[in-house]
Amino acid sequence: MKGFSRMRKDIGVLTVGSLVLVGLLALVPLTASPAGQKGNETKGKFYFKQNCKSCHVKDAQGGEITPLSKTQAQWQAYFAKGKHMKGTETLTKYLTPEQLNDALTFLYNHAVDSPQPETCGK
Amino acid sequence: MNRRGFLKLATGGAVGATLLQAEACGMPLRQQKVAKVPAPRLEIPTTCDMCVNKCSLIAIVQGGVVKKLNPNPENPKSRGMLCARGNAGIQQLYDPARIKHPMMRTGERGEGKWKVVSWDEALDFTAQKLSAVKEKYGPQGTLWSSSESFQEQFFRNLGQAFGSPNSVRHPTLCLASVNLAYSLTFGTVPSFDVQNARYIIMSGANRLESFITPDTMDLVASTTDRKARLVYLDPRFTKTAAKADEWYPIRPGTDLAFILAMLNVIIGENRYDKEFVSTYCSGFEQLAEHVKQYSPDWAAEETQISSKHILRVAREFSDAAPRAMYYAGRRSSWYRDDFSMRRGQAILNAIIGNWDRQGGMVPNAKVELGELMFLPWDDPTAPRVDELDRNFPLAAKGDGVYLRLRENVIAGQPYPVKGWMVYKQDPVSGIPDQDKTLQMLRQMDFVGVIDIQMSDTAWFADVILPESTYLERLDPVEMLAGIRPVVVYRQPVVKPLYDTKPLLEIVQGVAKRLNLSQYFDYTMEQWIAEQVKALPMDLPLEYLKKHGVYSSAQFPKYGTTLTPDHRFVTKSGKIELLSRRLQEAGYDPLPIYHPPTQVPEGQFRLVLGRHAFFTHASTTNYPWLNSFSTENTLWIHPKPADSLGIKDSERIEVASGSGSIRIKARVTPKIRPDCVFMQHGFGKHSPWLRLANSGGSDAQLLETAWDKVSGGAAMHETFVKVRKV
Repeated sequence: MKGFSRMRKDIGVLTVGSLVLVGLLALVPLTASPAGQKGNETKGKFYFKQNCKSCHVKDAQGGEITPLSKTQAQWQAYFAKGKHMKGTETLTKYLTPEQLNDALTFLYNHAVDSPQPETCGK
Repeated sequence: MNRRGFLKLATGGAVGATLLQAEACGMPLRQQKVAKVPAPRLEIPTTCDMCVNKCSLIAIVQGGVVKKLNPNPENPKSRGMLCARGNAGIQQLYDPARIKHPMMRTGERGEGKWKVVSWDEALDFTAQKLSAVKEKYGPQGTLWSSSESFQEQFFRNLGQAFGSPNSVRHPTLCLASVNLAYSLTFGTVPSFDVQNARYIIMSGANRLESFITPDTMDLVASTTDRKARLVYLDPRFTKTAAKADEWYPIRPGTDLAFILAMLNVIIGENRYDKEFVSTYCSGFEQLAEHVKQYSPDWAAEETQISSKHILRVAREFSDAAPRAMYYAGRRSSWYRDDFSMRRGQAILNAIIGNWDRQGGMVPNAKVELGELMFLPWDDPTAPRVDELDRNFPLAAKGDGVYLRLRENVIAGQPYPVKGWMVYKQDPVSGIPDQDKTLQMLRQMDFVGVIDIQMSDTAWFADVILPESTYLERLDPVEMLAGIRPVVVYRQPVVKPLYDTKPLLEIVQGVAKRLNLSQYFDYTMEQWIAEQVKALPMDLPLEYLKKHGVYSSAQFPKYGTTLTPDHRFVTKSGKIELLSRRLQEAGYDPLPIYHPPTQVPEGQFRLVLGRHAFFTHASTTNYPWLNSFSTENTLWIHPKPADSLGIKDSERIEVASGSGSIRIKARVTPKIRPDCVFMQHGFGKHSPWLRLANSGGSDAQLLETAWDKVSGGAAMHETFVKVRKV
């Protein structure tokens, strides 16, 4: 599990760094443009699962969320807004802008109305 | 190409030497001896891998020897049943023709000269060759082909971590058109509740002969004990036809005409489920307008089925709703517009409201499993070599389109592909147009195969990495979605008999040498531990070790999606009779009938099928199974046979635009005069698969053709000439 541990560490570093970037969010907005689809989908799936699925699974506090939970337009709008917990915190508390773009790419590409809809499974 | 030509492909055979080498590689002449002192009799639950059904079984093991495989009645899917193939799993383990050690070729490719090597040598060689291809052509210059297994994901992950976008799986040789048609209509691929159906129509899905599982027995019971009606369309009188209430030898390629005429009747006579359609479906008005042109009289001309029968079947079908179904089957694609026919079936099922109701189609329930998180890699930067986005925008991106991919690889377009890793797949004997597959294979700089037996493709490999069989290995836990979902567990029942490894270890061995270890830095035990954490019980792993299977549902659950606020996974959120995704992608949003190509004068349409003894082309060499059917034949109707002077059991030559074979004739009135039929899975060339060498290979005859939307190989678009020899 060496690689996994290393990744967690990296994520940790990035997450700490991302706190600094909170104030920059307005300067680097995640727009609802097609650019949102150009991130790294594989990594986006990983970031989504690792950071979001701890609360957003069935019967958990946040309720189940998968790519199928929203349409492509809704995912774009959600990430453009960049807010979490009913607007009380920013998404950059959890992921860097680059990681958020990757997560958006994964969610957008597999949204409920996408050509390749899917859950978070294999 | 005939078998002689195959062996001569590289340099002219040396079969005798090969077989001697094979013996030297450790092929046993008899099974392992049983210890004289009776050892304890163990009963170990595990999961079958002889086909895709994943039935639970209990291995009876004594003294380290598997004595028998029994069904495990705890699995509600496989119940107390283990089919002929499942029982023959014991012969896979003790198969004398297994690959027992890593091997590298010493002669020309396909010459059959091998040397046994160590795992280090084989893995070093594999990594070096892959690196050389990457150096010269980029990571996209490698192709990763695989078929379904509990460990397949590790192989696919290796290809992706290596940087290749070119993973190609089996669906476009199988049920890609069915999956896509149902996904675009309902947003998912449902199960068919045949056990509770009252009226079943099948187009060529020869379920009672080709795939014997508990579902099949449900079907038999439905039609006999519970008096469900079975209407069967097939140019051949199969065993399913024999059990059906009605059999129609439909003109091949016209099934969609039959379906559209049924839609015409059911909508025209207001027999559809109005409440269901208005609540859950979209596009009904356009559908109703569209099918006005397809009358029963028109369909009778196309299908050669009387209009009065079409009319009656349509009425009976709607009368039996919602416990009526047009059964999708588990068939491959047949024609270039196969997808449209499958869409027609899905739409017909939808308008009678058989969705999520007993005796109809039921969306699959699931059991939640956990997942081990591992380091993600960068997405491949190159586009897929099969240019999926341009050619098949709606096809599953992770699966690829096999025949289109092969065309592009042969042409070197849009870029060269020169390295080919193959896992649990035999493209040489399993894919239409064998000469083209061999052409693709010849132009590779490197071919590596991971398998348990010397398939026709392995025969051409540069290196063979032998996998342990399913009775020797621990696999990831697998969740089987369905009307009653289950989680199945596969644990080793004996230690590996030979110098073989489970796939994960092979992948890790290659990854380490490619500096990709960070992506595979876990053990199988860790992987499974994360998976079972989500199961709702204490000590889930202990439970699975003891029982081999877990099921959460005692009874099927119907109607979970039948709520007004349910959003289907389609563009509109409704069941799409008119598909918006098809429309956006530039396809016909409603199924349009195109007549099939006429059979040329003096030729026959070649139709194919398989038998429940054999899993595609992979189990023909096991004696227990082979003894049921030692070779395939060409079915031909007595009328054309007589005019060609062909008598039953005579050897004949069958030729298409792709190749020719010699095979025995079976003169029988059980097939239309304009068709000939042969069973898949014979005519293999590999000298290690001696029993499977008999008969003829359909791969040599089938021409390259694919379904326009899904890209699935169209298996019934080949015309052949037949002559006495």
